[in-house]
Amino acid sequence: MKNTKLFRLLAVLFAVTLFAAACGSSETADDSASGDDGAATDDSGSDDSGSDDSGSDDSGSDDSGSDDSGSDDSDTETVDVAQGSILAQVQDRGTLRCGVSGAAVAFSFTQADGSVTGIDADYCRAVAAAVLGDADAVEFIALTAAERFDAINTGNVDVLMRNSTWTQSRDTAVGMDFGPTTYFDGQQLMARASDGFSATSDVSEIDSAVVCTNAGTTTETNISELADTLGIGITLNTFEDFNIVTDGFIAGTCDVITTDGSALVGRKAEQQPDDQEWVIFPPTPISKEPLGPVYAQNDSQWADVVNWTVYATVILADEYGVGSADVDDALANGAPEVIRILGGEGEIQTAMGLSADAFYNVISQVGNYQEIFDRNLNPVGLSRDGSANASWLEGGLMYAPPAR
Amino acid sequence: MAVIDTTQSVLASSQQRPPIWRNSGVLKWVAQIVVLLLVLGAFWFLGSTAIDGLAAKNLTPSYEFIDGPANIQPSEGIDTAPSSAGRLLWVGMVTTLQVAIVGVILSTILGVLVGLARLSNNWLANRAASFFIETLRNIPVLVQIFLWFYVMSNTLPDLEAGEGRRFFILSQKGVSIPRIFYDDGFYQWLAFIALGIVPIVLARRYFNARQAAQGGQNLAGPATLAILAVFAIVGWFANSVMSFLGGIFGSNETAVDRVNEGGIAGAWQSIPQSLMQLLLTLAVFGLAIGFIIRFLNSRRTPAGLAKLTDDDYFRMIFAVVAAAFMTLVFWVLWPGLSSWIINSGSDFWGWLGDKFGDDRGTRPLDGMLPTVSDGRFANYGPTGATLTVFRAALLVGLVLYTASFIAEIVRGGILAVAKGQTEAAAALGLSRSQALRKVILPQAFRVIMPPLGNQYLNITKNTSLAIAVGLSDVVQVGQSVFNKNGQSLAVFTIWMAFFLACSLTISVIVNFINGRLEIVER
Repeated sequence: MKNTKLFRLLAVLFAVTLFAAACGSSETADDSASGDDGAATDDSGSDDSGSDDSGSDDSGSDDSGSDDSGSDDSDTETVDVAQGSILAQVQDRGTLRCGVSGAAVAFSFTQADGSVTGIDADYCRAVAAAVLGDADAVEFIALTAAERFDAINTGNVDVLMRNSTWTQSRDTAVGMDFGPTTYFDGQQLMARASDGFSATSDVSEIDSAVVCTNAGTTTETNISELADTLGIGITLNTFEDFNIVTDGFIAGTCDVITTDGSALVGRKAEQQPDDQEWVIFPPTPISKEPLGPVYAQNDSQWADVVNWTVYATVILADEYGVGSADVDDALANGAPEVIRILGGEGEIQTAMGLSADAFYNVISQVGNYQEIFDRNLNPVGLSRDGSANASWLEGGLMYAPPAR
Repeated sequence: MAVIDTTQSVLASSQQRPPIWRNSGVLKWVAQIVVLLLVLGAFWFLGSTAIDGLAAKNLTPSYEFIDGPANIQPSEGIDTAPSSAGRLLWVGMVTTLQVAIVGVILSTILGVLVGLARLSNNWLANRAASFFIETLRNIPVLVQIFLWFYVMSNTLPDLEAGEGRRFFILSQKGVSIPRIFYDDGFYQWLAFIALGIVPIVLARRYFNARQAAQGGQNLAGPATLAILAVFAIVGWFANSVMSFLGGIFGSNETAVDRVNEGGIAGAWQSIPQSLMQLLLTLAVFGLAIGFIIRFLNSRRTPAGLAKLTDDDYFRMIFAVVAAAFMTLVFWVLWPGLSSWIINSGSDFWGWLGDKFGDDRGTRPLDGMLPTVSDGRFANYGPTGATLTVFRAALLVGLVLYTASFIAEIVRGGILAVAKGQTEAAAALGLSRSQALRKVILPQAFRVIMPPLGNQYLNITKNTSLAIAVGLSDVVQVGQSVFNKNGQSLAVFTIWMAFFLACSLTISVIVNFINGRLEIVER
């Protein structure tokens, strides 16, 4: 009796072992399959962009839709893309979910009444105006530096305008794409004049200082590497919230704070106490920080919408000087390119899946690049003249491809 | 004949086994296996879906970044210039553990004191403790940590400029006191003190026997201390006699040199990999067989072996399956494990061997005063033991918050001891403090211990709030790491594994203490 029972148990055991072995082999088979799928995804991605370039017919969204279903047949990996472009989701929803900082003065700063102001916030409004025709149809979502890229990857925000630096690893490994730079920034340091600093100080003078900055940013990497290169020892404290960083600086616990130069200028303008004098140095920033919109990877239709919203504001500002005040006049009797952008001919915008007057709405409701810049960055003492943010016609880096 | 035939047929029919689909023994097993397959399938489905989804976003989880460069430096910790991201995470883990352990100790002491004060007959102490508890446990701990950060940074003094050594530096950057650290002769000194174990054992045996024979005071304790003191003092000067151990342990060279050098490290290094695999296999099967034998013994009754249930068979089979699986791991899935054990074992002995030797200094311990190197910046002494404002804010916040809960737990535990115990202790002539120490608290701790363990878990988990005040704990450095490479899932699994390990360790310790405190029933 007992023997038969044991025998039965052994048979069961054997079955379990077989199952485990089968499981193991099936997993490895799956691995190789998913590797193939990855390659397939890349292929379909390039197909997408190819069709977008050649797609001259009106039905832009249909075009990419059929493309997606094609890749859907070959594998199930591209579910994300097949669900439709973010553009369609935003249009269905009726609001744009835009990830911002909320604590970056002049970029996206939450005011006491709950409104968000700044150049990043204005570009959120510009995209909403282009897609939905209403610059106020924006839901601002405040994100910490550490949360922001997960928010894009999980689709919690449609576009990220959170003074995010375009870097190689973020563009490739972190799984998202970067739009055109809206502000060319550079990392600088801020210290107290009473500690012997001046605007021409060198970074090596911060030896043995307590340096504070944001956690999860490129700035902590930059300052770590620079300190290592210069052979100076610093204590680097990184905080989740930049407001705590400036509070620590005001109190004196932090000797030096460091982040993008524009943010330092903004903080200095807003928060410097009367009995302290703050200086920003070195004159040449220690890093390149091109800041611009960020969106999910492999969605070129949505990428085009965001990119051309930015380009339209730049072209109209720098090459034609068309702003919110004279946009109606320009639509009636402006240069051919201006009329094209503002929807006078209609073909180009509808091919992108937008209404013909998409960029007219942007300019009339939000303004052109010069207006957005002046409105947000002039009050804290930043100007386009002579900086990298000047037009290419004046020796700067702001340059947009032609609209035709 | 016919009668016998019918009884036999009745017997046969009663012994006939039910069909397999109605056999409860089989059905039970089928149900077990189906559930197992469903659970495994669900995990496999969830895991593969997650991995596919990440792959579609070009984010296949990978742990390769651990060996990559760190690129950032932690604010403080055992290594402020880590060579790799893995090392950076390790520095963060150590900082987390430091805060957690110190926090557990301090909050226990403070909590017990406040809890006792809450029960005190002294009106002032009683009210003050109530105020402490009611205020602190009703404010979120993050708010308290911020509060302490602001209070410390804004109220502590600036350091007056100037250079020099001080015994004590208090400034808005933190507090610095003299630091004691171990020097070259430390391990030789420890080995010398270890020699004292032999006389200590002999002395204890002698004094215990003498007390048993003659009564009177037992001098074993004082004798132990005296012998230890003698060995420590003599060893302070004479520890270099232990340097011969260096030759026995071997040296910390490369693998080939180590074998030539001999010693334990060399012997360990020359173990062939297959032998180690064989030893490991024997070890796991030995454990499995030992478990089965012990298990069967526990089921043995005076009337013979008790009837074993399916569950009992399952335990024994599982032990064998686990051993077989580990064998598979040793030989096929992860053969590198054996060579890793060989190498790290050899590394350990080589490292130990390096701590001994004739060419080492002989001073076991050394100390340094906090030094202000440049009055402008180094506002706390980099050569002293420094508690920075960032760490202090976190620690004070966590300790006060947790202590307020522990105080209530202690109060509850003491009140749970029957009033008769206090009265009986008083009747025996014990003073109030004696009654507390010898009667009340030992019984109260039985009630206190389980909820106290929960508080220890809480303080460990709450250390992750360090990022709010800029302290480089494991969560903060992990965030910096995955912000660079996008491997948030990989970093999350590391965090989870780390905190799980911490929590389980605390649970094991608390359960062990709990087991010791339990009333022994006979």
